[in-house]
Amino acid sequence: METEVRVRPGSAKAAKRALAAVVFAVLGRGLVACARLDSRVRAEVQSWPDGMVVTLAVAPRGPRTTVRKAGGRLEALGMRGDVEPTLLVTFKNVEAAVPVLIGMKGVLQSFAEHRASLAGDLALGMSLVRCLHIVEGYLFPDLMNRRILPRPATREAGHLRAYAGLLGRTAELAPSAAPAPDSTEGAVS
Amino acid sequence: MIPAYYEFANTAKVLSGEGAIENIPFELKNLRCGNALVITNKQLRGLGMVDHVLRVLADGGIAIGVLYDDVPVDSSVLVVNEVAGAFREQGCDCIVAVGGGSVIDTAKGVTIVLSSGAKDLMKVRGVDRLVGRYMTPFVAVPTTAGTGSEVTGAAVIKDTERHVKMAFASFNLVPDVAVLDPRMTLGLPQRLTGSTGMDALTHAVEAVSCRQANPLSDAYAATAIDLIREYLPVAVNEGHDKPARLAMANAALLAGVSFSNAMVGIVHAMGHACGGVANVPHGDAMAVLLPHGMEFNMDCAGPRYGELLLHLAGPDVYARTPKAERPAAAVAAVRALLDWLHERSGQPVTLAECGVTSDQLPAIAKLAADDGSIGMNPKDASVDELLAVLKAAL
Repeated sequence: METEVRVRPGSAKAAKRALAAVVFAVLGRGLVACARLDSRVRAEVQSWPDGMVVTLAVAPRGPRTTVRKAGGRLEALGMRGDVEPTLLVTFKNVEAAVPVLIGMKGVLQSFAEHRASLAGDLALGMSLVRCLHIVEGYLFPDLMNRRILPRPATREAGHLRAYAGLLGRTAELAPSAAPAPDSTEGAVS
Repeated sequence: MIPAYYEFANTAKVLSGEGAIENIPFELKNLRCGNALVITNKQLRGLGMVDHVLRVLADGGIAIGVLYDDVPVDSSVLVVNEVAGAFREQGCDCIVAVGGGSVIDTAKGVTIVLSSGAKDLMKVRGVDRLVGRYMTPFVAVPTTAGTGSEVTGAAVIKDTERHVKMAFASFNLVPDVAVLDPRMTLGLPQRLTGSTGMDALTHAVEAVSCRQANPLSDAYAATAIDLIREYLPVAVNEGHDKPARLAMANAALLAGVSFSNAMVGIVHAMGHACGGVANVPHGDAMAVLLPHGMEFNMDCAGPRYGELLLHLAGPDVYARTPKAERPAAAVAAVRALLDWLHERSGQPVTLAECGVTSDQLPAIAKLAADDGSIGMNPKDASVDELLAVLKAAL
């Protein structure tokens, strides 16, 4: 019999965690970019209470990404762990997170399969899910979107503008005129 | 089709049959408990049903540290916090809930507050967040046959400030013991028997078509619908028929296990919102909205509804209905039952009959879009689509 057995995580686990960290960073900034570019995301975020902090994380002690709405702005805080979230989505393990993060599984399906938990107001959680669906519509190609989104993606700006928007860390949430949603799936401006 | 991945839990010990209540003290001692907090409402106390449970507890050597009999029609955050405080003050070690969905959901809210160490339920909202925590031993004695709350990991509790029904979900919320004693539902009025039965039917139908339907939840749902088809009319017509009451109690439990695992969808999302905005009783909302929800989902859940025709209408109707017509026939079978209940007991068949006005519909649709259940529906529903369904049901 062996006691106090120590097993080192495999290299595949480390690679998945690194991948999750990268995609989390993109997703956090993608949410901020879409709050700038897309009136639907902006409207959702405007409905959130001031001071709301949203964190997506992987258990245990995995990568995370945080965004905060404060003072009329949405700000990506990246991996910072010193901000108490008001809405916390935690994937049970990195294997549960990766399929969602690389566009192989939808967010709602992940919740249905109990692969993630949510701490906080469920109504705000539904608002976050709607935002993530729109963000995924920008970040992923439509081949993936058809599999993971509940309905065909529509965009108010092109993929390239969204990717360029990832360079920014904040979004002003003051209402601004936005073009009408593009009704054609996969349209790029 | 089998899902690529699913989870299924049914952890409640079930005591079913006349005399089940008399076994509660044994079960509590088995859980190492001796000082109970009993939650119920005044109406049930007035009917003498609670006094019987209290006598059984006392005879069995279980102290009653707190008797809270003031649970309102809708569970509320304020009540949950108050009862949790009383539990702590009196040093109780278990909860016995005697009542319908609101009573049992209140008890679940209390277990959430107690187990999380919080003082306010609003601080511990969420889904699947009660992982690995000690849960307060909990016995549920349903006095209706509809919600299935005695075996579900879900609770709906009203935020009275925002007029919103909040959903809590965790496998850890499932009571330790579910007690189905037909004596507890013998006095249920005809009208309530019908609406709670339709609630159970809605659980089973939605469970079969929602995102996490799986072979185990399907089996529970199918058996529940079979029992409802056979025994709901008997229970409505002959309220004192004990076998029918016990069968309906089992049907509600089976449907509860099913939807607790497979989830519910658009009908519950709209029903919760109707309750929040217009105070529509849950069973009435389910009864009115079920056929409309099925029609909305028809293009993606039609084949599943077609399979349900066997259980909704029986083997003869199923056999003589062409396959392509079975989904619509399933909806027709639900409408036929609803119409029968309308004639027999005055069951509402429209939202207007439930007191909903057209100017409330936009607020209901908006609230339904934020309800967690809508995310588990097999088909996405926008606020505009929800509004269209609600208008059709008005």
